[in-house]
Amino acid sequence: MARALSLYVEADTFVQKLDPMVKLLYILVAILIPFVILPFRWVGAAFIVLSCLALLYARVFARVVPLLGFSFLILISIVIIQGLFMPGNKTPAINILGLTFYKEGLLYALTLCIRVLDVLLAFALLVLTTRPSDLIQSLVKRGLSPRFGYVLSSALQVIPQMMSQVGSIMDAQRSRGLETEGNLWTRLKAFLPLIGPVVMSSLLETRERAMALEVRGFSASGKKTFLYERESSTLDRVLQWTLIVVLILSIAARFVLV
Amino acid sequence: MNKKSMWSFSFSTPVLVLIPVAVGINYVGKLFAQLLKLPLWLDSIGTVIASMLSGPIVGAISGAINNIIYGLTMDPISFVYALTSVAIGLTVGIMAYRGRISNLWRAVVVGLVVALVAAVVSTPLNVIFWGGQTGNVWGDALYAYLIAHGVPVWLSSFLDELVVDLPDKVATVIIAFLIFVSLPKRLVQMYEGEEALEKLD
Amino acid sequence: MKAVVVENLKYRYPSTERLALSGVSFEVEQGEFIGIIGKNLAGKSTLCEALVGLVPHFYKGAYGGRVVVDDVEVLSSSVSELARHIGIVFQNPFTQITAAKLTVYEEVAFGLENLGFQREEMVKRIDYVLKLLGLYAYKDRNPFELSGGQMQRLAIASIIAMKPSIIVLDEPTSQLDPLGSEEVFKAVQSLSKEGITIIMVEQKMEKIAQYADKIILMHEGHLVDFGTPEEVFSRPDLESYGVEPPVFTSIAKKLGIKDNNTGLYPVTLEQMRRLMIGEPHRS
Repeated sequence: MARALSLYVEADTFVQKLDPMVKLLYILVAILIPFVILPFRWVGAAFIVLSCLALLYARVFARVVPLLGFSFLILISIVIIQGLFMPGNKTPAINILGLTFYKEGLLYALTLCIRVLDVLLAFALLVLTTRPSDLIQSLVKRGLSPRFGYVLSSALQVIPQMMSQVGSIMDAQRSRGLETEGNLWTRLKAFLPLIGPVVMSSLLETRERAMALEVRGFSASGKKTFLYERESSTLDRVLQWTLIVVLILSIAARFVLV
Repeated sequence: MNKKSMWSFSFSTPVLVLIPVAVGINYVGKLFAQLLKLPLWLDSIGTVIASMLSGPIVGAISGAINNIIYGLTMDPISFVYALTSVAIGLTVGIMAYRGRISNLWRAVVVGLVVALVAAVVSTPLNVIFWGGQTGNVWGDALYAYLIAHGVPVWLSSFLDELVVDLPDKVATVIIAFLIFVSLPKRLVQMYEGEEALEKLD
Repeated sequence: MKAVVVENLKYRYPSTERLALSGVSFEVEQGEFIGIIGKNLAGKSTLCEALVGLVPHFYKGAYGGRVVVDDVEVLSSSVSELARHIGIVFQNPFTQITAAKLTVYEEVAFGLENLGFQREEMVKRIDYVLKLLGLYAYKDRNPFELSGGQMQRLAIASIIAMKPSIIVLDEPTSQLDPLGSEEVFKAVQSLSKEGITIIMVEQKMEKIAQYADKIILMHEGHLVDFGTPEEVFSRPDLESYGVEPPVFTSIAKKLGIKDNNTGLYPVTLEQMRRLMIGEPHRS
């Protein structure tokens, strides 16, 4: 059966055990400070180092590489394009293959790279060390409607279920004579007969699932309870307050500097 | 029959069950597009169908959750582009809710508007994160050409995004429309909203 | 207190013209096992939906008459509130899985969490129903990894964890293979032994004849008959309602084997055997 969507990596470190809300707070801080409050390259770089240290300690660093993969190619093309063409390029820096890369463009590209890596690594820390169900339950306990908690939780299994049908639908339609190779128009025409059945059957199933949810008390009024609860630990509170203090200090530093 | 305002916030259980399926349709669309090697993303078909069925709010939420899930499980930068998905959901919902898309030509018009809106919303994000690029080879080639010739960054970036979004979003809305009109009526009614309960003697 | 009271129930789905149910009335005692039979579109599923409140609260439409379940009036209550009194299991095992939980154990907890049970009570009930339905060994498995019969038993477990005193089953075995079907019938039997009132729509007449205390025969929205299996299956006009009697009854009808005191035909193999030997008819 299709595996539920999750990047969680199990390990026995405090990072995995940390309250997901603390990790969310970290992401907020890691975005606000380097992007808005103290927008200097070294601030972003500091957060990158901090995230990397946490990822290493949590033994999930190896899994970061595929996450970075998506952005890596774009970052390289940014370095090239900004280095060569950025308006405001004046000072030549290096010459490769007859092309002149300028200092201003390269520095700008560096800023962008630091920003992207900062965001990616902060999110990676959350995503690799937190079970999606724990994250969702945390949010529900703090006020997210349990009905929306359900939407998020079920998405993590419904999506892989639907994706797993793709292979057999392609086979079935091909055996009925659908052409899936050839020129662009042929391939475009094949799209609708392929996606149509998946959409139709999934939508029809939603009625049955909605009824099944209703008879399990889904719309019941009154407070919901949880089978598995987690207690807030001292470390959770310490880190939470540390982050808040850091945020306040950085805002103060901003006023001092500017 | 009472018709709810398109901006109502009540979410019936069928609507809540629809949202993950809409996201699933997004994912499946993207996968088929890749398997067929099409030069289009086709990753918002579910969001558009959800908007057509349940209005702009549900469409916007489907779009947001799409990016949240994708961000949580594949590429965290997706989180930020939730804004674009929300904009798409809102646009289609406003223009298409309750059968206001009556024929294919109107679907094309909606697709064009969606492409415009998506480009407008994505451009600031593209500039902040990628210096104006989009990650699409053809779009970025255009971008490089434009800024090399002195076109302002914002405009170059906008055109980069638009060139990518126009065919993709128009195709998306057309496909969503074709699927929508072939849905059984009872199914569409389930998402439409509150009917009143009648008394029988 | 009666388990179920239905008075002159009428219902029409939205945007349709014909009545799905026309003036249905009957009563069910606690602990009874009721079978519902009838051909397609007879109103069997609609009747099930009306007992748990999906009709009218989920569909809206046009509603008349009265349904009272466990002393709770359906029209003035809600599906979620009724879930504490009456549960329902549908045909498709797959769509009854919430998809929000990763293990069988948590899946059963879903309804209990919605209804606000305390943790200790939840654990007690989940352990109990999983053992009752033979699923305890699978408690850490992903629900989607189960077989059809296991999934359907999980649906039953999830419903009875909420401790309704009545459970409705709408053709629970129609999408299962023979092994899965047998698992479900055994499960339903053990529920009945626990004293739970069972109302089950079934096409397998031999099974209904074996388990049911009474049978409701539906046709085009009307309740045509409500009696013991012997009474209903002995009707000469059964086929005109699109229903075949159990195979033993058909044979008995052809061979003229019946109980001379009641004038009724046997409905199970055991009954037929006794009649042929000459033992008095025993229900």
